[in-house]
Amino acid sequence: MGSILFQNVDKVFGPASSGVKALDNINLEIAEKEFVAIVGPSGCGKTTCLRMVAGFEAPSAGLISVSGKKVTEPGPDRAVVFQQFALFPWKTVRENIELGLRNKNLPAGERNTLVESALKLMNLETHADAFPHQLSGGMQQRVAIARAYVLDPDVLLMDEPFGALDAQTRVVMQEELVRLARVNPRTVLFITHAVEEAVYLADRVAIMTRRPGRIKEILDVRSIRQAENWDRFQKIEDVMDLESFVHLRTHIWKSLREEKGSQSI
Amino acid sequence: MIGRRGWIGLGTVAALIALWFLLTTVTGIVSGARFPSPAEFWLSLRQIWGRGYAGGQLISHALHSLKLVAMGFAVAIATGIPLGLWMGWNRKAEAAINPVFLVIRPIPPLAWIPLAILWLGLGDSAKILVIWFSAFVPSVINTFAGVRNIDRPMIEAARMLGTPRWRMVREVIAPAASPLIFTGLRLSLQASWTTLVAAELVGALVGVGFVLNMAQQDLYPGMILVGMVTVGLLGWATTVLLGMVERRALSWNMAARD
Repeated sequence: MGSILFQNVDKVFGPASSGVKALDNINLEIAEKEFVAIVGPSGCGKTTCLRMVAGFEAPSAGLISVSGKKVTEPGPDRAVVFQQFALFPWKTVRENIELGLRNKNLPAGERNTLVESALKLMNLETHADAFPHQLSGGMQQRVAIARAYVLDPDVLLMDEPFGALDAQTRVVMQEELVRLARVNPRTVLFITHAVEEAVYLADRVAIMTRRPGRIKEILDVRSIRQAENWDRFQKIEDVMDLESFVHLRTHIWKSLREEKGSQSI
Repeated sequence: MIGRRGWIGLGTVAALIALWFLLTTVTGIVSGARFPSPAEFWLSLRQIWGRGYAGGQLISHALHSLKLVAMGFAVAIATGIPLGLWMGWNRKAEAAINPVFLVIRPIPPLAWIPLAILWLGLGDSAKILVIWFSAFVPSVINTFAGVRNIDRPMIEAARMLGTPRWRMVREVIAPAASPLIFTGLRLSLQASWTTLVAAELVGALVGVGFVLNMAQQDLYPGMILVGMVTVGLLGWATTVLLGMVERRALSWNMAARD
């Protein structure tokens, strides 16, 4: 349970003959409980990859499957965390988190237990009855993450989840996500354009080319993280100072810069 | 209770009444045959309030008009909001219905009055039908626009959460569209009063529009003004009521705007 597979996936926007090719022959396998980040220049189609796993869009060719099942429509087995949070502003924090459980027809008692533990997991207990607009951006994204986690999904799809947050909040959320991944490991597909974020969070980082997006390179961060024992540090800045981290980051930067350099103006 | 803005508003009303008194009574620049003086207005008001005019007291005329507006408005929103939601949500429904709408929409609601009277006579049902015609359109159009303006991620989030269709409409689509739905309702309410008074002017046996019509035939400016003020107050009161409902329903949105 919880693997993601891209098999020869193409995506064309518009009519098949004259449309814009956004993705070209994407092949990627994400193992159960593995955290994979996709980085790439803007407009390379990385978000489209995630949206196809979520079932919001269909591939033009090829196959996408999750836990061995072909993706045909959105569903709570593939929880999405959106860049713009996408909370329901007329529902309280608790009601936002509870909706997915109600849709699963769980009895009220069971729902309550799960919502409480999700609130606790994301440090939201004191805000359970607040409305989203009463919360800061970081808090709102915590709600969105809680709403995703509470579903107990096979895979977690995060589309630049910290892109709309200020720098400090962003760092807190990144550390939080690492903590979460240890407490409650998940299969995660994480889209970002922030290289350091990708290296800090992911087990593997896939680098994409500019449009039409192809996977250019996949870096194994986990083996380096384990070899260099990054996890002995609590704080992101300490990890970011390590030579092994800097080396990886620079490698990805150069790879992305090549993509930007080849862009015709 | 009354804030600073309220006092300024009351001041304007008081100034207008003073001006009215000045023009009609003190200076006599405007003659009583064209526009009634405050005294004549007061006498007319006392007449229709007590003895009655045009077959009834003011209260019964006003309540009758209010009842028709309430019924026509209720029917209009009960049909208009669901149709707007459906058209916004379902592209096929929109493709099927929109062309019909584009043709019917430019017909002024008042142009339906002759047909409605021909079909249903001078009774209540003809008026309710006409109010429905006029109030229906703004409800549908604004509800439709409200649904179309919903942020896509919000709907995607609901789909991702496995929200079943009916709950999607009730708990996601309708609340997300509700700010524009209420805009439509305000326009619908306005249209309801406009058409009702017009319909009563053309053919009725009771109601504020009928009072206006009779007063015109009797060359009775004081009573005409009483009828007009009554319509104004009724329209104002129902708008305030709708505003209270709106503020309550959209409390999450109002707070977000501050």
